[in-house]
Amino acid sequence: MANLNIDSVKERTFDAIIIGSGISGGWAAKEFTGKGLKTLVLERGRDVKHLKDYPTTNLYPWEFPHHGVVPDAIQKANPVVNRCYAFGEDAMHFFVKDAEHPYVQEKPFDWIRGYQTGGKSLLWARQTQRWSNFDFEGPARDGFAVDWPIRYEDIAPWYSYVEKFAGISGNRDGLAELPDGEFLPPFPLNAVETYFSNHLKKNYKNRHVISARCAHLSKPNQIHLDQGRGQCQERTLCQRGCPFGGYFSSNSSTIPWALKTGLCTLRPHSVVESIIYDDKKGKATGVRVIDANTKEAIEYYAPVIFVNAAALNSNLILLNSKSQRFPNGLGNDSGTLGKYIAFHNYSAHMNAEYDGAKEWTTDGRNPAGGGYIPRFRNVYKQETNFLRGYAAGLYAYRGHKQSSDGIGQELKDNLARKELGGWSVGSHMMGETIPKESNFVTLDNSLKDPWGIPQLRISVDYDDNDEKMKKDYIEQMTEMFTSAGFTNIQTFTDHRAPGLDIHEMGGVRMGKDPKTSMLDKWHRLHSCPNVYVTDGASMTSTSCQNPSLTYMAFTARAVDHAVSELKKGNV
Amino acid sequence: MPSCLHDDKGNAVVKLNNLTIDAEQEKIVNSLTETILPKTDTPGAAELGINLFVFKMIDDCAGKEQQADFITGLNKFADEAKQKMGKPFVDGTDKQRVAFVSSVEKLGKDKNYKDDGKLMAFYQMVKGQTVFGYTTSKYFMTKQVVYELVPGRYNAMYPASKATV
Repeated sequence: MANLNIDSVKERTFDAIIIGSGISGGWAAKEFTGKGLKTLVLERGRDVKHLKDYPTTNLYPWEFPHHGVVPDAIQKANPVVNRCYAFGEDAMHFFVKDAEHPYVQEKPFDWIRGYQTGGKSLLWARQTQRWSNFDFEGPARDGFAVDWPIRYEDIAPWYSYVEKFAGISGNRDGLAELPDGEFLPPFPLNAVETYFSNHLKKNYKNRHVISARCAHLSKPNQIHLDQGRGQCQERTLCQRGCPFGGYFSSNSSTIPWALKTGLCTLRPHSVVESIIYDDKKGKATGVRVIDANTKEAIEYYAPVIFVNAAALNSNLILLNSKSQRFPNGLGNDSGTLGKYIAFHNYSAHMNAEYDGAKEWTTDGRNPAGGGYIPRFRNVYKQETNFLRGYAAGLYAYRGHKQSSDGIGQELKDNLARKELGGWSVGSHMMGETIPKESNFVTLDNSLKDPWGIPQLRISVDYDDNDEKMKKDYIEQMTEMFTSAGFTNIQTFTDHRAPGLDIHEMGGVRMGKDPKTSMLDKWHRLHSCPNVYVTDGASMTSTSCQNPSLTYMAFTARAVDHAVSELKKGNV
Repeated sequence: MPSCLHDDKGNAVVKLNNLTIDAEQEKIVNSLTETILPKTDTPGAAELGINLFVFKMIDDCAGKEQQADFITGLNKFADEAKQKMGKPFVDGTDKQRVAFVSSVEKLGKDKNYKDDGKLMAFYQMVKGQTVFGYTTSKYFMTKQVVYELVPGRYNAMYPASKATV
């Protein structure tokens, strides 16, 4: 450690340190600075500034060297990230390449990462649904994991709080299993999505197709304009970064908001090696950072530390934070750290055709992606041979009768045909998985990453419950498609590794009992309560909703608690 | 040694990183792309630079195995063309080239066809990239089927009768 003089320590001391600038870290930054605290945000990747650092955002397809296709050498060098649907020539600069941050796959795991200011919030699919008590009560009712220490009532006001600022489009659908929020106008269902929605309403109990709720400014309010964001322009090129700020990202919203206060220091290229625990003081006092470029070690200090490094990296940091008091990782008295990792099962989808609604088509593009079918299995009671359930995407589209048949003028005519074709319908499953002790991450004993930090070993897999659920999705959707008169129904199952859903969760789970969990109901480590974990690592169970909105609400709520504890002098 | 591609005056204009193509082979692919996508009252492959795009895509985006098939199939294509046309593909009349390429196109629809010489693999790579390059070209996306970078709207219920792109 260089420069241990008093001034230097003072310069490196803050009211709060946040590890990570992604979707939850950005919220922590906004909340702490909004409450007047001097805040340090540590980002392991480079800085990506809204607008300025979106190099591809306004390019037309022909302006890319390969018109959007990733060159073979890059694909071959990156088998993991290349499997991500958003890894194209237009956005590949926002993804971590396989060799840049090695990890050990005890079982195949596609770890998709974005190391830059904003993290994966630049790249996410922007789907935002609240949890309900059917989700929070799940583990207790069905006897897995541990009981959540919170309920919907604890988090509902915080959902409202973050929704208003982030801007969430959606309908007030009045469904108990998917509570309504503070919505901007929805992106409506099209003719065939509406037809299918009505079909389910008529023929099934508790099965619905609703407009997908998403973090897009369908009609901005003043609070969004104040962020410098404008109305979504339906480009559906979100993964490039949006020049309008039409969707929510840390880059377009929370980070610049925090920086505007003058209280936020954002330090990119800062890989957190560990959290410093002072055995004498009996609390965490700061973090140890490796500068990604110089490899220099630097320490920063604060009375409260938020861990928002993204689920698995938050696990890694805690596992690597060893002290006399915590030889097995910070706060790990229970021995559960790194365990009970879960994810979402996306391994089935289907296509079909619909020979109806010929008088309708769509015009423009739908940033919400279409419809959403909330979980309908095992909601009110256990009714299948598997636990929990799945949500599903549901989308219909109608293209032109383009074809690439023939050569010469015939080919040209076929490619430019403007006559409308029939409707296609698609769906994909989003299944809850059950957290288990046998799905875990640990530190490798000898392998290090380029910053001298032990590599993460990932051992996560599907189980029999996932297989049964997948089978049920295919059966139920096939039946619903068939009864709706959809034809040429094709079902697809794939053998994708966990991780490709990019919804990995857990390892630092919340719970009531310090003997069986890591975090209390405020997201504090039970045994080191000035450290909070509010990203995906904190999840006790996964439900099947897209998780980001819940991380945002968790974070705002936890910061509110942390600041009140600071004010009371409890930290 | 990877090769360079040439303009119509014989100047090297595009450097390839992986493919080794001689002048004769280059001419065959250029001629084939122009046969697939000829200049009519609208631009053809050469005018739009599609032939260069095809080479770039095979060179950068195809795997080693596909690249090997491309070369093998190109030679097979040249042999077959010569046999059928009685002269090298590039020396044929438009009519002869169209007839030969049409026969290949037709063969591609025959499920029993065995592509031992990789002729079809070659042809489909060239055709696929020609179509992809054309339909994502500035010309096509501004003059034929217009691509909007900023639609600024989503009409979920839009009368089919009004649909013109």
